Amino acid sequence: MSEDKEYFTIKIVRRPWYEWILWGIWLFLEIVFLQSAIASHQELEQRAAMIYWLIVVVLSLTGFVFWIIRRSRLL
Amino acid sequence: MTEKRKKISRRDFLKLAGLSTSSLAVGSFSPPTRKKSVLPHSKIILDEAGRMKRPWWVREVDKPTVEISWESVKRFDARTAARGSGFINYVGQEEVNRLTKIAAGKEKERLLQKVPGYTLKDQALSAAQASSSSSKRSFLGLQKAQTPEERGVPTWKGSSSDAARILRVAMRHFGAATVGFVELNEQTKKLIYSYDTDGKEIVFEDVDIAYETTEKRVIPHKAKWVIVYTVQMSADALKRAPTAIAEQTTILSYGRALDIQIKTQEFIRGLGYQCLGEANVNGLGIAPALAVMAGLGELGRHNRVITPEFGPMVRIFKMITDLPVTTDKPIDAGIMQFCSSCKKCAETCPASALSLDDEPTWDVQGKWNNSGHKAYFEHSLKCRTYMMEGAGTNCSICFSVCPFAKKNKVWLHNWVKGGISSFPTLDGLLRSLDDAFSYGAQKSPEEWWWLNLPEYGINTEQTIDED
Repeated sequence: MSEDKEYFTIKIVRRPWYEWILWGIWLFLEIVFLQSAIASHQELEQRAAMIYWLIVVVLSLTGFVFWIIRRSRLL
Repeated sequence: MTEKRKKISRRDFLKLAGLSTSSLAVGSFSPPTRKKSVLPHSKIILDEAGRMKRPWWVREVDKPTVEISWESVKRFDARTAARGSGFINYVGQEEVNRLTKIAAGKEKERLLQKVPGYTLKDQALSAAQASSSSSKRSFLGLQKAQTPEERGVPTWKGSSSDAARILRVAMRHFGAATVGFVELNEQTKKLIYSYDTDGKEIVFEDVDIAYETTEKRVIPHKAKWVIVYTVQMSADALKRAPTAIAEQTTILSYGRALDIQIKTQEFIRGLGYQCLGEANVNGLGIAPALAVMAGLGELGRHNRVITPEFGPMVRIFKMITDLPVTTDKPIDAGIMQFCSSCKKCAETCPASALSLDDEPTWDVQGKWNNSGHKAYFEHSLKCRTYMMEGAGTNCSICFSVCPFAKKNKVWLHNWVKGGISSFPTLDGLLRSLDDAFSYGAQKSPEEWWWLNLPEYGINTEQTIDED
């Protein structure tokens, strides 16, 4: 049994340090706005919840598009 | 290698399982032990006086954010207040009769038309709350609890911080949201009414025991600590202002406060001290002023106190005791500063009773305001008239639209409060965002009857630090 079959291998693309920081900020904002959206529902503030969900969706799409662009350039 | 690892793991697992079972068996037959902690649990009490932990952006300051000129502050005659019984002195019996007739007519009309928020169930609820808070309010308390003397034991002794802590814990247990203490000195005595709302004079005398006659209520000089406490109102109800649904949470808070007062008076009596309460609704002293001095919050544009924890969603009450307690300092959380640029309460006030001035002023609007502090004074007559003529219930729109009236579940809101405290330049932007997110909008009164609300409609764990 070869080592390759025994383990999963995760490959992480080399990126400049500032890109990692940007991804960190993106993830932080995603968590904050997601929490805001869920908590606004609990607080029965439906309009606020809707706006927060919109921000989450836009932020996710922005991240996805950015990831696609960077991926195609790196590959 | 893999096989060997698997065998060892299984054997280890069995060993561990055996050991765990025997430990559990031994443990279950062992006598129960209880860890004794010398210091109180950090999550519950954070200092000797039992003060709750406040966020970093709430600073203790030597002077409150509302400027005070103690030279010009005079003791206020509660009869000149425009609320309650004082209203008649300004508008006369005829106008009161006219407004009362309008209010009664509106109530019946809305009942018949089944206007949401004013239906029979809404009014019945409101009336039920009023009936629960209509008795036993007194200056001296019930005086039924056994005193230490009657029990044949010495009076309770402890440090002033011990006293503050046990009072806080007891009062929170009785239903108070936050509790603060103010020492009565030559300055702060001016915040105790000269005449109570029922016309009895409130005097300080060099006596040992407080007493009351048909003419006056007497506070002994040695009773020099004011206990100021807040009682939460339900944001879910108040967001329906002005309706009977919003009104009932205010009435409920008064009822709960009366309960807290009676129990605290009896509790302090049981310790061997005196506790003097509000003999009438809103009696004894100026609630917002004492709450500001006790550090429970800051004075807002709507002339009520805005707390860091609950915003304006509280009512404030007070008692006086001769039990020495550690006092508190006023706070600055950037709230009054925020009010200068926000103006949301004043803009939405249907009676135009609130000031739209950019800065607070020393000039009062009328005799119903007490002078000597720099504030955004209200026109109480317009406010009261609107309640009777327009709303038919109490109003509270200024409470419900306040940007600080949040439930604190959204992390971002707590960070924004920090921003308000540290970066006043953001205040205008934050007010605009509050509008954009539609936070001040009135909620449907009918929807309220479908809500799955917590007890009293309030979150009683809001001041518990979960960190």
